[in-house]
Amino acid sequence: MKVTFPYMGTTVVYKKLLEMLGHDVILPPKPTRTTINLGVKYSPEFACFPLKVIMGSYFEAIQKGAEVIVTSGGNGPCRAGFYERVHQRILESEGYDVDFIVFDSMFRDPKTFFRNIKKLRDRTPWIQVMKSLLLIYDMIGKLDNLEKKVQCIRAYEKNRGETSRIWEKIQYDFDQAFSFASMKKAFKLGKEKLNSVPIHHIEEEEQIRIGIVGEIYVVMEDSINMKMEQVLNSLGAEVERSQYLSQWVTYNMLPKWMNWTHENAVLKKGEPYIPILIGGHAKQSVGQIVDYGQRKFDGVVHLMPFGCLPELVSQSIIPKISEDYNIPVLTISLDEQTGIANNQTRIEAFVDLVRGKRKQRLNGKTKLSRNKREHCCSSS
Amino acid sequence: MKIGIPQALLYHYYYPFWKTYFDSLEIETIISSPTNKRIMDQGVKYSVPEMCVPIKVYLGHVLELVDKGADYIFVPRFVSIQKGQFFCPKFMGLPDIIRHSFPEMEPIMISPYIESTTDDLATSIKQYQVFEEKFGISRRDNRKALKNAESVWKSFREYSLRGYDISEAAALSMNDGHKTLKQRKSEVKERFETPEVTIGVLGYVYNIYDSVISLDILNRLKEMGVKVRTFEMIDDDVLKEQLSSIPKTLFWTFSDKLFAAGNHFYHDSEIDGIIHVTAFGCGPDSMLGKLLELDSTKHEKPFMTLRIDEHSGENHLQTRVEAFVDMLKRKKRKVKRGALA
Repeated sequence: MKVTFPYMGTTVVYKKLLEMLGHDVILPPKPTRTTINLGVKYSPEFACFPLKVIMGSYFEAIQKGAEVIVTSGGNGPCRAGFYERVHQRILESEGYDVDFIVFDSMFRDPKTFFRNIKKLRDRTPWIQVMKSLLLIYDMIGKLDNLEKKVQCIRAYEKNRGETSRIWEKIQYDFDQAFSFASMKKAFKLGKEKLNSVPIHHIEEEEQIRIGIVGEIYVVMEDSINMKMEQVLNSLGAEVERSQYLSQWVTYNMLPKWMNWTHENAVLKKGEPYIPILIGGHAKQSVGQIVDYGQRKFDGVVHLMPFGCLPELVSQSIIPKISEDYNIPVLTISLDEQTGIANNQTRIEAFVDLVRGKRKQRLNGKTKLSRNKREHCCSSS
Repeated sequence: MKIGIPQALLYHYYYPFWKTYFDSLEIETIISSPTNKRIMDQGVKYSVPEMCVPIKVYLGHVLELVDKGADYIFVPRFVSIQKGQFFCPKFMGLPDIIRHSFPEMEPIMISPYIESTTDDLATSIKQYQVFEEKFGISRRDNRKALKNAESVWKSFREYSLRGYDISEAAALSMNDGHKTLKQRKSEVKERFETPEVTIGVLGYVYNIYDSVISLDILNRLKEMGVKVRTFEMIDDDVLKEQLSSIPKTLFWTFSDKLFAAGNHFYHDSEIDGIIHVTAFGCGPDSMLGKLLELDSTKHEKPFMTLRIDEHSGENHLQTRVEAFVDMLKRKKRKVKRGALA
């Protein structure tokens, strides 16, 4: 089968999984302006941004010859659970005949879930399927590990763009690895490469850390969030995302009673602000901001698609959390109209503010504890 | 002790229920005034700009109730009124939005979780235990009040199904209309005797029955001699039947009802056209609207989307609605002439 999937984050992973199951994978091109325009043209005007981008990338993948689309489903209350239906209807009305394989939660409807797996498995032996799944799981863990490193190193690199180039190379290496051993080698090599990137030495008190929270698609897919991580890195801030693929997979694979993942802890932290799950990642976003606040991050960038239902709730609550934990938060809503220059200015201003705030905090501390080097306080 | 009920969102669907419930418990209620410019402005001022109008307006109503001196404010958290379905995330997080935007309001808010399996809210007493503690009410009285509320609400739904619009049905079910039922009935019949066109108006109760949010679209249509049908006038079984053939339906209860009603309107030969009234930025509607719009060509029935928000202009709405009605009339006459010739 010629399969494709929605483009999100580190696509090597899905590509690899499907390839190992013996499919012909049509990798959708990385979303560009054309993709977005194509998606916007056919999607409902007020649909959320991810729906439009994914729509566009489906059209592009179909033009490249895809016949089957593998995607995730959902059952609300966020709109994302209904994407596949709308996509299907729109493709139908445009005269494209494609098959959808939709994965809903394994616990809600195990029958369809396993039927889908069977469909995808085709003639691959079960042993092979299990092995591929394990291998992929191993791979996303390793990739996420390296990515976290990238997000720190990139802030201090001496040659602009070097880390990003190396990161691309690492992903390619992983794409070429098909066994645990070669995966391990790629991991080790990647680590070495990253460690050899020449970096500026920055004093501890000058280092700032910014967390990115928000709706999973706009957080993970850098082609539609204006390369937020790179922008923040280039302004000299270390970055951590609220969502990593490996965490997401672990959280969704484990049944409730043995779910001790980071995600669950984060949800607990969101409880005082939003007591129930209201769909999407609202509660996670809220909890994650609390988490960053507790871990003494210097600021948080909150990303959401324009008009995102759950994130609007979290956006309404954020001023309160920001006050409670004394952490600045910048909310940016993204859609096809987003202007880069205007947001660039906002981010720069935000980082300046965060820097100033950090200095203020450190100064306050030194004053309070009557630290020995007094002159340190007046340095600007 | 006075409980304030904001006249917004699902107030329009559950007012007879809540009012009767509080009355039978002898708890005094204050209802906020119908939406007006001040309420709207207050709501807009205190909410996130991207929020949809109905939620903004709700905040305005809550603020007005505080000004009016309500001791408590009733802000229920709507979670689900049907198995496997939910409300829009904004409804589910509504009490959170309010209590974190106005920290002083947290102690005076009463927000029971509304979680039941039918849209009849009396099915689970658990939601109403809050009142027992707060107002010193016995379990027995509570049950009795719920029973009363249920029966009034059922008769309200009954009136709706007979074709009365929500304000009429509410007045009738609560017996404070000036006219007797018989008079009303004949009057309604008279009015609907020879409508030239019938339009199905799709929209949430809190939009189309709020005369400021929707700019009074229902009355505008009625003045043009149009018979209006809305989703709450259709029997639940009919709606369910419409959905039975669809593999995956929407998981928001009222959107699902609208979707079913839309499909019903397409199949109902009495309906000449459909107007979809939706708030700017309404998430569920963005999906629903597109699906129905795609079907419109298949069924050859005109479909128009009216998007409203706090900046809506009256004149543009009037023009569009008039044009739509004229088009339907002309289309109908043409068909008639064609049949005669």
